[in-house]
Amino acid sequence: MPRFLTEFFKRNGILMGGLMLGLVLFWTIGLIILPQLSMLDFSFRPNLPPPEMGGPKDVYTLENYHHLIFGPEGASAAYNYIDLGVFFRTIVAAVCITIFNLILCYPIAYYLGQSRGNHVRIFALMLIIPYWINEILRAFALRIIFGQTGVLNTLLVSLGIFDQPYDFIRNDIALYAGLGYAYILLMIFPIYNVIESLDRNQIEAARDMGASWVRIHRRVVIPYAKPGISSGCTMVFMLSAGALAAPQILGGPSSLWFTQIIYQWFNDNSNWPQGAAYAVVLLVTCILLVMAAMRLFKVNMGDIGK
Amino acid sequence: MKLSFLRVSVWVYLALFFAYLLGPLVIMSITAFNSPSFPRMTPWECLTFQWFGALFQDERILNGIKNSVIVGAGTVILSVAMGLAAALLLTQIWPKMRASFYTLIIAPILIPGVVLGISTLVFWDRVARMLGLEPGGILSNGIFLTIIGQSTFIASYCMLVLVARLQRYDVSLTEAALDLGATHTQAFRKIMFPFMRPAIASAAVLAFLASFENYNTTTFTFGEYPTLTIELAQKVRYGITPAISALAFIIVALTVFAALANEANIRRRALTAAGPLVGSAPRSGLRLPRILSGNPAAILLVLVAITVITVVGTAMTYSPQQCIADVREVKQLKAQEAIDALRAAREAREPIQDDVPASEAPSGSGSSSSSFGGVFNPTNLGGTAEPPKAETGFGGVFDPTNLSVDD
Repeated sequence: MPRFLTEFFKRNGILMGGLMLGLVLFWTIGLIILPQLSMLDFSFRPNLPPPEMGGPKDVYTLENYHHLIFGPEGASAAYNYIDLGVFFRTIVAAVCITIFNLILCYPIAYYLGQSRGNHVRIFALMLIIPYWINEILRAFALRIIFGQTGVLNTLLVSLGIFDQPYDFIRNDIALYAGLGYAYILLMIFPIYNVIESLDRNQIEAARDMGASWVRIHRRVVIPYAKPGISSGCTMVFMLSAGALAAPQILGGPSSLWFTQIIYQWFNDNSNWPQGAAYAVVLLVTCILLVMAAMRLFKVNMGDIGK
Repeated sequence: MKLSFLRVSVWVYLALFFAYLLGPLVIMSITAFNSPSFPRMTPWECLTFQWFGALFQDERILNGIKNSVIVGAGTVILSVAMGLAAALLLTQIWPKMRASFYTLIIAPILIPGVVLGISTLVFWDRVARMLGLEPGGILSNGIFLTIIGQSTFIASYCMLVLVARLQRYDVSLTEAALDLGATHTQAFRKIMFPFMRPAIASAAVLAFLASFENYNTTTFTFGEYPTLTIELAQKVRYGITPAISALAFIIVALTVFAALANEANIRRRALTAAGPLVGSAPRSGLRLPRILSGNPAAILLVLVAITVITVVGTAMTYSPQQCIADVREVKQLKAQEAIDALRAAREAREPIQDDVPASEAPSGSGSSSSSFGGVFNPTNLGGTAEPPKAETGFGGVFDPTNLSVDD
């Protein structure tokens, strides 16, 4: 037995140490690493009925990735414009939602982080309550509001802003509002946590030196809050790119989210390898984008989740 | 002057922000009490409690709640155990490895739920095949897969909560216990566990809530055991009814109640810790009970409880039948009026149309966009309300002259 293991068991006892190690290994290897590798492996295989799996036809192939980029064999278009279009739209929309959420939440997080008193606790409570309501129900609530005969349309028509009900769902406005709505808390809390620990004297000092309001934020608050901002942005981006409930409920009939295509491959077309390939593409793209953004803004991975 | 302007804009911003955050929930809750069969707030028709009745008769919803509770319990046990083990290991692992280990166990939070669901499904399917199990065994059971899939990332949340508390733990306490002859298991049970208990409790609550509301992962793994969230999603996607609003209202009320209870409890402890003298001097004739004084959350809690009791009490005795019948009558009256107006308009127009059929063509073909046809021109309506939708489609189509013009 290697020395570190002996030491570990001496420190924790055979039973407790074994239990601890077993649980952690089960989690990290059995639940995190192996399933991801298994999905990756699966995505390179052809779609075979169960009896033929492991048989002579079960060889590695790029067919599934080929399908995403070039479309099915013998298709008329040079590229798979539909799936690729949905893919890029999803990524771009997720980036836009992230930026929108950041702009929306930064002032709130700053305000909550810098004020003291009872009302901050109440605001925090009001922030948390919507988050514990089911994701489906939150999307449902927005659908009631944005519907053809919904509250918003009734209001706008009766105010005379529109003369006809505006179709928010078909134009994807409901979807973007819903995705932004769903992850507000994940943006506010990391930023709030960081700003709360910012010494107010720093801001006072900057103000005394004559710095303008914009300058204080640009030079003092934002650099300090960068870990919180990046972790909020990462979470919101990853979650909205990977969202499934909101697009299914709030998305227009003609527009899809990339996760919906993955869902279709799994549930409607029963082509698991194809779905796995799409999922791998989504995961890898998201991770690369987040890492690129972190490199750009000079933040460490270790800051996430604090 | 500038300061007050800033102040006002901050408050306006806060108000708008919380309207965006809470407004949808409020509106959704209100629609649960309106009688139309499509959930809407306007026009308000009748106060009704029938949707709550419909909800409690829905077998699928009840079955979904049962599955959700089973999955939730399993996920809580598994993910709290794994989270605690990982948190303990994180404090012991040698520093060089710590960063990568931390990244590995925090990663599931960032992996899209869809991907977690798929990888769980694919992996355990393969394991089952390698072990030669027939399909439908324990490894492809929906509840097992859902617990496994959800625990993958919920354990990370638990780990974060537990690590925060563990950092304040004094290791020398465990060492002292071991020196005094306790076994490792005893030391954990008697020293470490009591210290960690509050964090374990909050991790368990967090895990249960996260499991209860999870959709993205569960939708790939649930198999034959749909959870409440899955059932809700099916319902919302294929036809929405106010019964869902009713369920939402119950969940909102429960959440608010729990949050207030928690807040009141924290406040009560803080007050107790502040000493018995606080608030003991009677200032006026009206004195609140001790628990309530200086504790706005507790006051709110009591108010909410009273409201709920009142509402349930009203629901038991209240019958909206009369109101619904009235509304139906009004609707029928409107429809009748609209039909009359239609008929009158047609009769009035008949001779004119015979003379100038060509002039009718543009308004006839334009009817597709407005769907009001030429018939519904404002003067014809003669003070009647807007006609119901079923009537509008007919437009001027019934006119024989229109047919010939369209050709």
